[in-house]
Amino acid sequence: TLVSATRAEAAVVNRIQVSGADRVSAETVKANISIQPGKTFSNADIDESVRRLYATGYFSDVKVSVSGGTLVVVVNENQLINAVVINGNRKIKDDKLEAVIRSRAQGPFSETAIEADKQAIRDAYAAIGRSDATVTTQTYPLGNGRVNLAFVVDEGDRTKISQINFVGNEAFSNGRLRSVILTKKSNFLSFLTRKDVYSEDKLRADEEALRQFYFNNGFADFRVISAEAVLDEASNEYVVTFTVEEGQRYNFGDVNVESTVEGLDSEELKGLIESRPGKVYRAKDVQDTMSEISQRVAAKGYPFARVTPRGNRDLGNGTIAVDYLVDQGERAYVERIEIRGNTRTRDFVIRREFDIGEGDAFNQEVITRAKRRLEALGFFSSVNITTAPGSQSDRVVLVVDVQDQSTGSFGIGAGYETGSNGGIKLEASIEEKNFLGRGQYIRIAAGGGKNSRDYSLSFTEPYFLGYRLAAGFDIFKNEDTSEDYYNVDTQGFSLRVTAPITEDLSTTLRYNYTELDYSAGVANEPYISTPYWTVVGQSPLVRSSISHSVTFDTIDDKTLPRDGIFAQVTQEFAGLGGDSDFYKLSGKARYFHMLLEDADVIGSISVAGGHIWGTGDETKVYDQFKLSGADIRGFESGGIGPRAKKGKMADYDSIGGTTYFTVSAEASFPLPIVPRDSGFRGAIFADAGTLYGNDAFTGSDKVVGTSASLRASVGASIIWASPFGPLRFDYAVPLKKEDFDEVQRFKFGIATQF
Amino acid sequence: CQGPSEVLYQGYVVDQETLALAPVGSSREQVLLSLGTPSATATFDNEVFYYISQKRKRSAAFMKPKIVEQSVLAVYFDKDGNVERLGHYTMQDGKVFDMIARVTPTGGAETTFLGQLLRGGASPGNMMKNLMSN
Amino acid sequence: CQSDPDIDISKLGMENESPDTLYNQGLANLNAGKVTEAGRKFEAVDRQSPFSDQARKSLVMLAFTSYRQGRNEEAISAAKRYLALYPGSEDAAYAQYIVGLGYWKQIPSVTQDQRASQQTIEAMQAVVDNYPDSEYVEDAQAKIRFARDQLAGKEMQVGRYYLERKEYIAAATRFRVVVEKYPMTNQIEEALARLVETYYAMGVDSEAQTAAAVLGHNYPDSEWYADSYKLLQTKGLEPRENSGSWIARAGRRLMGA
Repeated sequence: TLVSATRAEAAVVNRIQVSGADRVSAETVKANISIQPGKTFSNADIDESVRRLYATGYFSDVKVSVSGGTLVVVVNENQLINAVVINGNRKIKDDKLEAVIRSRAQGPFSETAIEADKQAIRDAYAAIGRSDATVTTQTYPLGNGRVNLAFVVDEGDRTKISQINFVGNEAFSNGRLRSVILTKKSNFLSFLTRKDVYSEDKLRADEEALRQFYFNNGFADFRVISAEAVLDEASNEYVVTFTVEEGQRYNFGDVNVESTVEGLDSEELKGLIESRPGKVYRAKDVQDTMSEISQRVAAKGYPFARVTPRGNRDLGNGTIAVDYLVDQGERAYVERIEIRGNTRTRDFVIRREFDIGEGDAFNQEVITRAKRRLEALGFFSSVNITTAPGSQSDRVVLVVDVQDQSTGSFGIGAGYETGSNGGIKLEASIEEKNFLGRGQYIRIAAGGGKNSRDYSLSFTEPYFLGYRLAAGFDIFKNEDTSEDYYNVDTQGFSLRVTAPITEDLSTTLRYNYTELDYSAGVANEPYISTPYWTVVGQSPLVRSSISHSVTFDTIDDKTLPRDGIFAQVTQEFAGLGGDSDFYKLSGKARYFHMLLEDADVIGSISVAGGHIWGTGDETKVYDQFKLSGADIRGFESGGIGPRAKKGKMADYDSIGGTTYFTVSAEASFPLPIVPRDSGFRGAIFADAGTLYGNDAFTGSDKVVGTSASLRASVGASIIWASPFGPLRFDYAVPLKKEDFDEVQRFKFGIATQF
Repeated sequence: CQGPSEVLYQGYVVDQETLALAPVGSSREQVLLSLGTPSATATFDNEVFYYISQKRKRSAAFMKPKIVEQSVLAVYFDKDGNVERLGHYTMQDGKVFDMIARVTPTGGAETTFLGQLLRGGASPGNMMKNLMSN
Repeated sequence: CQSDPDIDISKLGMENESPDTLYNQGLANLNAGKVTEAGRKFEAVDRQSPFSDQARKSLVMLAFTSYRQGRNEEAISAAKRYLALYPGSEDAAYAQYIVGLGYWKQIPSVTQDQRASQQTIEAMQAVVDNYPDSEYVEDAQAKIRFARDQLAGKEMQVGRYYLERKEYIAAATRFRVVVEKYPMTNQIEEALARLVETYYAMGVDSEAQTAAAVLGHNYPDSEWYADSYKLLQTKGLEPRENSGSWIARAGRRLMGA
């Protein structure tokens, strides 16, 4: 019902007459048209006025014409909505739905808007996995063109995904491919994990995930032919089918570098190539090699050089030869780095992650590295860096768009641990990863269990004095009453600074000051072994030490490591004042490797060891090493190692040892019967180790277990990556042990990784 | 990886033969064509083009990159826009001194810790996640 | 988690009080300091008889009460709705002014995104251009100056960041943006002093002297000039006061910008 206006060339009217506008005042109509009495106007003005009147939304039809000297505006008004209400919605709150629909109180009652609103509500429900929700409307007229409007929602129930099928895959089983993609089949946990909600862009992401998986396993020609989801209306379930064409599996042929930029000889760059001839083709190796070469080339003063890989396939013997071409890119400089969207994070916290400044050469490699660093900070829900043309042809402006996300959290945690001082633990904590938007970390926690209380405060500044040094301090206080005959109160602080040497290697220097207070009634003396009774007498004691550790970490994914090494060596020297004098050297290393790619079996070997050299008169009992239930499974914490007889009692106090070695081999695999994506995994392991030697003064008490006898155990465990955090159940049977060792076969706890 | 130390080239990338393309007497357009847009021009009378390049060395990933080489090529133009003379300033000409500590005050709302924690902090998601795992 | 109760729309009658009484109740509440209650009354007028004159007045009062309660986004959208419906009316200037105030209240510290400063400038500029003789022009201009100081302050903050890291090109460019785009802000003296430092550190003495001379010429008794002068003195340099024509041109450019 568009306008039909009689065309008037540049005409003039001396009066404007409005009809049909009884509710909307004539002034409002006149105010919204650009034609004024006495002023010339053209038909463009008429169109403009009509458009503006429609834009107000109050009119279903507008006619503008000129007759004689008057401009005639005939309007026909929409009904007005007095109130808008949404009923029947449980899963999505009113305010979320109201933000999506256009009709609102005092707005026009227009059919087209209402249809669009219904569709918008249906889309909102489809997004949370309820594709069969339906929306109807009710109206209740109130007289003189006013009406109440209600959207009635029937939410239907959860749309499930009944099956995920793969067609055309020979090299990898359906099960393995299912663990690669994000969309999961519905199972008893889906209401929590929400992984079985079907969405179009999740399907696209799954296609990309499959491509990356195959490209990194030698299938350079892999193609996803189709990926579609069919909704079975009756059962309200989707069937998702991926049709793929794997193509041939390739190894690397010969690989070399060709440089057309003089001053850059190919030979020297060849050393950086990650992909060795004969190895299985992996797209990741090619990307890594490209970034290594472009870093080296930039470091030699050629930031504009470009690295492009060219692969030529040899179908006969299934190899791909890769040539890395290095040529001169065009010379462009970054004119300005614009940071937008940071409503909380400070500008310099973002800017300092860029290795280039304004005025420097534009280099894609540095930008991808900055993007990775910014995302790793965990302050932003989205980071994207785009380039905009600068003021000159060879100038570029970098636009960094970030979206701040909440990084603070009130935490109330509960944990359960078996073993001697186990039991229920409750903890309340306040944590903020981006304190005041300065990128600083602060955490305050207080907690307690059946027989322990602990309080802690820690703070870290990631860029101490402008250096990339993460410096911080921790203050802690702990009361432990788990022992029957004596209590231990420890409190103190530590100052620490961590410096990255390279991307994977970092070193930490730490000063620790700890006060220990062992207390026990005089009457308890016969029930306590001499080393502990001595420290009860000497309490309160102080330990003041500096420690230095070097960490090498190439673990690919902290939650479920499949590849990489975590190794750490620590040395601690106590004796800067305080009552403890020792030099302690300890180290641990853990190596992960995929044993069976198809069955997703992950093998891991870990080794640990340590020794303490007393440098003063005698070593305090609490300074000696103690092995926890996690170091060697199948034994209690402090269950193995030297022990001293408790005065007249029959049993012994564990007093720790001067030296320990442990080794453990483990293979973890998805549990066969349970659906793979539920987060359950099984594992079998074998632990072995020893703890021996004693420097602590034991007086006349009888001491056993100081010899280096080997303990060993084998066992199995169930690991569950639950939505609340990794849980772990271990069952281990000691094979070789000493008769005075304390065994503990079953262990359950929150599995902390490192 | 090639050891912890790293070299960073910042600013204008000089290469020798293009320098020869902008001798004394050549016009401003020719300089722009051969050397490209200058890193900076004179603040007030832009009769001078400055091409500034710096070479820095970072001995370990956490260290601040230290300038090891810095060269400023100044191209002075005469009244009718032809290159009058070339100037060259190196590290030796530069001075080391402490910046003025004073900062002109600016306005705008500062986010306080509690404000930030309450406004964006306690998201229900985190609460739930922390409920079980300590 | 409780869900919203369903509402039977046949019960939702119309408020029967006349727009006048509602509007006056709104004003009474406002004078009594009960801002939220006043806001609710003005909303009722706007809902009940949307095109009456009281509705127009209460819409602008609604914008004011939202602003007073610190609900800046609601204030801005109410004021913008007023401007769309009643562009030529007498309170339009006040509505446009409220839009500017709404953005002005959200201006964050210079280390954060200054989009709100930019919006403040645009909204307040509309007050100055469209309603030149309204009583709000004077404060609008003050808010524009404040917002421009913020934008200049952000350039300076980034400039200082680069100067500390000795990235002189980036620093010089940032300070130069202040000299060229924001000469009339409170940051201009520091911008010139930082330019002196940047070029002095690079060894390009002529530029350092020029910047110091322009600073001295326009702000002879500013602390920044004293510091720059002292800095140049350490190498026995004088701010280039003497070559007249050149300074006049530079000084005039500064004033004229």
